[in-house]
Amino acid sequence: MPDLAPLPLDPRAIRLDAMAASRDDAIRQCGQALLDVGAIEEPYIATMIEREQVLSTYVGEGVAIPHGTSAAKHAVHHDALSVLRFPAGVDWDGEPVTLCVGIAARGDGHVRLLSELAQILMDPERAKALREASGPGEVLRLLGSAGPSTREETSA
Amino acid sequence: MPEKTVTIGSRSGLHARPAKIFVQAAARQGVPVRISAGERPPVPATSMLGVLALGAVQGTQVTLQADGPGAEEALTALAELLARDLDAEEPADA
Repeated sequence: MPDLAPLPLDPRAIRLDAMAASRDDAIRQCGQALLDVGAIEEPYIATMIEREQVLSTYVGEGVAIPHGTSAAKHAVHHDALSVLRFPAGVDWDGEPVTLCVGIAARGDGHVRLLSELAQILMDPERAKALREASGPGEVLRLLGSAGPSTREETSA
Repeated sequence: MPEKTVTIGSRSGLHARPAKIFVQAAARQGVPVRISAGERPPVPATSMLGVLALGAVQGTQVTLQADGPGAEEALTALAELLARDLDAEEPADA
């Protein structure tokens, strides 16, 4: 495993009290947050929805990680995440989703991003803290602390 | 415990569609299968988060483990799946 860099999360791409009418609406908002911080071009958002139609990005534990197709990588300016929490839940093809992490990545960057993110979400304490975070600062701290020093494995 | 080491064949690594195909195939085995990469402890092969956390790209070696009746068959089937370039295959469920 390569050394882990902090996750590329801009505080402006964090929304803790988002509401969505549907799965696609939630994905669009995740994409819009990536667009707002200058990480992507607008066409990337449509490919996030396209990707979801082919393959669900629901990963369990009420979390989905929408991202664009590899064909849309040219629409990505820099690797970035957006974190949107939907306290009321979003019906994700039958699964209730309360946390969405939008991902923009160039090249193979998404594999590293997904891996780091998954490791955080698999840690029950950090996942719970993320679901209950009261402000963007706390989310940043939880996701930004993915450095090697916090890597001790819980032998679950 | 029976185990099998295999090199990831999918161009985009073990994520997105290849990961989904693998997790679904693992769930169809009659026996619990675990997967690991590098030094970290193995995770259930049916856990999407666990599989994503491996961070396996094309060429990464992963190890599958299973125990009990049907373990060898499960390992063989899943190893064969991982060795293929799943990105190059048409989605069967799209």
